[in-house]
Amino acid sequence: MDKLTESKIIEDLFPQKFGKIGQIWVLSLLLLCALGAFAYGRQLYYGLEVTAMRDYVSWGIYISNFVFFVAISLVGSLITAVLRLTNVKWSTPLTRIAEIIAVSAITFASLIIIVDMGRPERFYNLFLHGRLQSPIIWDVIVITTYFFISLLLLYFPLLPDLKILIGFKERNGKWLQKLYVFLGSFWNNSLAQFKITDKAINILAIAIIPVAFSIHTVTSWLFATTYRPGWDSTNFGAYFISGAFLVGAGGVVVAMYIFRIHYKLEKYITNDHFDRMGKVLVMLALLYLYFNVNEFLVPAFKMKKSEEEHLLGLFTGEFAPIFWFAIFTAMFIPIFILLFKKGRRPLPAFIAGVLVVVGSWFKRFLIVTPTLLHPFLPMHDVPASYHHYIPTWEEWAIAIGSLAGALLVITFFARIFPIIPIHETILETESNENK
Amino acid sequence: MKTNNLLGLFFILIAVLPELLLAQAVEKNTLILGVKYFNDNNISQHLVIEAKSKIDGKFQKIDNIPVKVFITNDSNKNNLIAAGMTSERGELLVLIPPSAKGEWLKSNKQNFVALSAETKLYDEARAELAVTKAKIKIDTLDGKMVKASVMALLDTVWTPMAGVELVLAVKRLGGNLNINETLTYTTDTSGSMIGEFKRDSLPGDQKGNLVLIANVIDNDTYGNLSSETTAPWGTKLTYATNYNHRSLFARRGHSPFWLEFLAYGIILAVWAVIVYLIFQIREIKKLGAV
Repeated sequence: MDKLTESKIIEDLFPQKFGKIGQIWVLSLLLLCALGAFAYGRQLYYGLEVTAMRDYVSWGIYISNFVFFVAISLVGSLITAVLRLTNVKWSTPLTRIAEIIAVSAITFASLIIIVDMGRPERFYNLFLHGRLQSPIIWDVIVITTYFFISLLLLYFPLLPDLKILIGFKERNGKWLQKLYVFLGSFWNNSLAQFKITDKAINILAIAIIPVAFSIHTVTSWLFATTYRPGWDSTNFGAYFISGAFLVGAGGVVVAMYIFRIHYKLEKYITNDHFDRMGKVLVMLALLYLYFNVNEFLVPAFKMKKSEEEHLLGLFTGEFAPIFWFAIFTAMFIPIFILLFKKGRRPLPAFIAGVLVVVGSWFKRFLIVTPTLLHPFLPMHDVPASYHHYIPTWEEWAIAIGSLAGALLVITFFARIFPIIPIHETILETESNENK
Repeated sequence: MKTNNLLGLFFILIAVLPELLLAQAVEKNTLILGVKYFNDNNISQHLVIEAKSKIDGKFQKIDNIPVKVFITNDSNKNNLIAAGMTSERGELLVLIPPSAKGEWLKSNKQNFVALSAETKLYDEARAELAVTKAKIKIDTLDGKMVKASVMALLDTVWTPMAGVELVLAVKRLGGNLNINETLTYTTDTSGSMIGEFKRDSLPGDQKGNLVLIANVIDNDTYGNLSSETTAPWGTKLTYATNYNHRSLFARRGHSPFWLEFLAYGIILAVWAVIVYLIFQIREIKKLGAV
């Protein structure tokens, strides 16, 4: 293996222009976003009537998507904060990946809420007329806070890298150079600056943990403070957070593999990283499985009349295929793959990560929608369509468009900034050599 | 020819027999109509027509019975004051219309006739009611006493009537509560009676007003009469609402103090950190400039 010199590290980790595959990828995402924007235009013009949401199912895949985005955004606090504070060094190359996933996910979580509102011009009412007693207003506050903390956590460690990037004026091009200069020209690698940055990152790492826990606990309370079958649970906060860490870690594994392959980062995102993240994923999947057992086994054991229809709908009824698909893809199969050392190699770990992310999306759908179809009072004298919820193409287009948008943010970020911290990697390499 | 006649008779019988059998099979019940007259507060008069029938040994209210109601008599079509169907409660409410004023003023007594047409299940029915026009006056006296008098229209003069049974009550929770333990009173020779109000501490309105009512109920001569008045004998209602109270379920701006303290405290603390860190960026910039 070649020795990693400073110049070699900079060369390897310097943001690269899109190749052919990159261009196709960006174009595909832009097309999906455009389709989503078109569908949203139709929704604005015709109203929420273009969706399949009616009197009973008033939260459909938009809110499922929102919960999914909030969940995946928690990975920023897991990788950056929890592992940093516990002095785990191997996570250094993954911190920026985790943070940009967090920032893009939380941005689109906010946007999808506006989409779900139907009347975006009324969004400001949430701030002007929100009730402090409502979990909805807590969510608005905590999402905004988490966004800014994540942004700062992305920015502070970026400062030394910006100094390096500014040094390659000709390679950067006019616009990128201007951007780098604007963001980090004042950085001169002085000890005092490092001292402030380190302190700031430590403060952020501490601050982001309770905020991250709050963001997803509050999201779970949007449901749990409502007395309905499937939501009336004291387990919901912990259940949501464990699920969020799982999907976030799954997302990071997927991103690690794609960046490693596409940018040829095998020396930086090593097999060891996949092995360790694989173990983290197994632990998180087992934890989430434990909460799922609590969430479903206990009410199923009692099988209260009001819960029965909802639970049977999930276990053997209308939602059973999605329910078991989500349970197996988000938990059982990834656990089975990642328990073995061979399963923690990059490709199998990537597959396990994809399964976790896909399964988790459907899990969020199952948390939101089936409950709404099983109110305490039976549905009488309503159109047949009210008894089911099958999203319209507009809803799918908007949901997929928002997912594509989040991926686009990550993609453009990786094009503009080093996806693995250059300065920290140089320092760690030097430190390892000195040992 | 004789055979043909017999055959013809046979076919006629075959054709008519089912109708005859059916007619025997559907045994109609006897419908009983009742007419009740009400004079409310000496202002408006109305009738209630009741339709009932004895089914399975019990009297039951019958709905959907078409009823026509006439003032004075039913021989003149112009006397028709209402036509309608009985409700689920087997009743038809009839307000005496202004168009009946001419008939109403002709006499101090008044007849009403209710007719129901024949239906599939019931024969036609008829009911009549004759009332003498009367009214009640209710008043309050010192010492929480209630005085009521009954007067009937004799020729053209309102005359106090003795021996009329009536009820003195106070309106309470959608019903009438007697003003004391005495259930009914009878008017004396002056046509009046006095009862003592003994219901202390009843909640009144914001001024403590209670609604007192004198009722003549189902009197054979006068029908149902009622009259109301108010007296400040109740306790004053203090309008209590939790609309302005701070609670988790209250409106915006009325959250509990502990929640506001906690929430704003946390928000301020976290945002203070964010602002502090933004200032740290400024510090880093300053150091860079040096």
